[in-house]
Amino acid sequence: MHAESLEFRGIEKFFGRTRALDPIALQLAAGEFVTLLGPSGSGKTTLLNIAAGFLKPDGGSLHIGTQDVTALPARKRNIGMVFQNYALFPHMNVFENIAYGLRVRGVASTDIEARVRRALDGVRLGEYAERAIRQLSGGQQQRVALARALVIEPPVLLMDEPLGALDRQLRKQVQLEIRRLHREFGRTTLFVTHDQEEALAMSDRIAVMRGGRIEQIGRPNDLYQRPANVFVASFLGESNILNGTVQSLEGGVAIVRIDGLACEVRGEAVAGVVPGQPAGALIRPEAIAISVAGEGLRAQLIEVVPLGEIVAMRLQLETGQEFWVRRFSGTQVPDAGHEVRLSWRTEDVRILPMQT
Amino acid sequence: MNSLLRVAIYGTGVLVVMFLMLPILAVIPASFNHASFIQLPPSRWSLRWYEAFLADSEWYQSLFTSIQVAVVATLLSLGLGTTAALGLQKASPRWRTVLNAVLISPLVVPVIITAIALYYTMRPLGLHGTTLGMAMGHTVLALPFVVVNVGVALRSIEPNCLRAAEGLGASPFATFRTITLPLISPGLASGAAFAFITSFDEVVVSIFLSSATTKTLSVKMWEIIRVEYTPVTAVASAILMVVTFLLFVLVQFALRHRTGQEGGHAR
Repeated sequence: MHAESLEFRGIEKFFGRTRALDPIALQLAAGEFVTLLGPSGSGKTTLLNIAAGFLKPDGGSLHIGTQDVTALPARKRNIGMVFQNYALFPHMNVFENIAYGLRVRGVASTDIEARVRRALDGVRLGEYAERAIRQLSGGQQQRVALARALVIEPPVLLMDEPLGALDRQLRKQVQLEIRRLHREFGRTTLFVTHDQEEALAMSDRIAVMRGGRIEQIGRPNDLYQRPANVFVASFLGESNILNGTVQSLEGGVAIVRIDGLACEVRGEAVAGVVPGQPAGALIRPEAIAISVAGEGLRAQLIEVVPLGEIVAMRLQLETGQEFWVRRFSGTQVPDAGHEVRLSWRTEDVRILPMQT
Repeated sequence: MNSLLRVAIYGTGVLVVMFLMLPILAVIPASFNHASFIQLPPSRWSLRWYEAFLADSEWYQSLFTSIQVAVVATLLSLGLGTTAALGLQKASPRWRTVLNAVLISPLVVPVIITAIALYYTMRPLGLHGTTLGMAMGHTVLALPFVVVNVGVALRSIEPNCLRAAEGLGASPFATFRTITLPLISPGLASGAAFAFITSFDEVVVSIFLSSATTKTLSVKMWEIIRVEYTPVTAVASAILMVVTFLLFVLVQFALRHRTGQEGGHAR
């Protein structure tokens, strides 16, 4: 079976009287990899569970391909699901775990054998068929879970923080595995995480969620370059944000008077910026030039943190606000304790509304 | 000083264990007495009273009744207790507390009260003095053990495992049969063992529900010990004890074997 599109049409959800999801409109093209990114409580797992059929929405409809599956129970949706805690069946070995979905479908046992073997090879665990689950590492368990979800050839694959329980090293490994499997099998994938690096590295598109709403959806680079508001900017990547009031807006360029600094910052305005309203000026750490003399925003260099391929510099503005600047390692940087000047190009600054 | 303290602690421990165990274990040598009264240690050993036990149809008939009642009570309480435990898990927190208290109550209510209540319930129903009636009475007492053991096993199942099975296309019944049931089988085994033992050595309810023709081993022992003091009661005790002990060992072995297999997920 091939990949199918997945569409949420005005899906909403209440828990008791609290609204967990505002009506959500989200469409995944067939074969697309979309990540729901947001802090805990933002509704991303709720949305995923509605897609899987483990939760019933209180409004709206859900479509897989051309079929309305809103009323379909989870077992009839033919969706692959991967959980944060693997959720493998502890009383079955690796082979039986993967075969489970085929067995309940009544697939002939010779077919099962062949398909499970192929799935095992797919996640590079060919030698592990007879192993007990508890003999596997976390990374291997998650790969078994991936094979178990993929072997039923679901048109849609759902993943609920699948890397959340793994340590850093394994996380990278399994992340690569998931990307490779997505390239190979092209399943429409909805991936939930609160880790922005993961989201940026893996997704075709990212939907940033907060408080049961999608704040912004777009390609990783667009979200990074043109966040819709201050929340998205601070959630994706490192960001320095100067708060102030919009002085003027002309031809897409806004000027913001910064609170407490008696200076103005000019930058490209995104939609929703209104003169006279509060706004934030976003300057990414890699876009800031740092010098010991000359023009620029005055700051104190507090510490220089080597991070391998880059060095991060923590600075303090006169208002006490913290700023981060990043350089490639090996670049000449001032010593901690120096007073420095910060400058940037207008085209690297984004003026963002505080809220949407 | 320190080692002296240690000796004192160990010594006390040994004494306590001896105090608890010796009177129980004493029935074994007592059952091999040759004399017609219980002598410890026996001056002459023999199997005479085992022969007497087997020769007396009332004795071995009562052993057979005991086993019959215990098996039926075990099956009844397994069925009822497992469904109750499953239901409890699905109930809302408030109902769960209430229902749990009701199901566990036979452990708290004095057995004599349960026995009298059962007596008055069974008589008009014609179940008094029947094997089934007695098994039902024992089920009341054994039920809490099954509910508790199965409940613990159910709670140890990762909820996402059940969701995973459902997502893979399994019907609720298939999920129960292929995931839930195997994962709670250790709980079922220990629940069954506790139920069997509870019924097998039960005496209060049994006295109230027994009749001249239907009496369990423990009831027979209770009757005999008041009129004669021969080592045949020691034989009955020894049999009761060995059966109980073997069952306990069997279950422990089964559990050990299981956790050895799936120890990684016992948490």
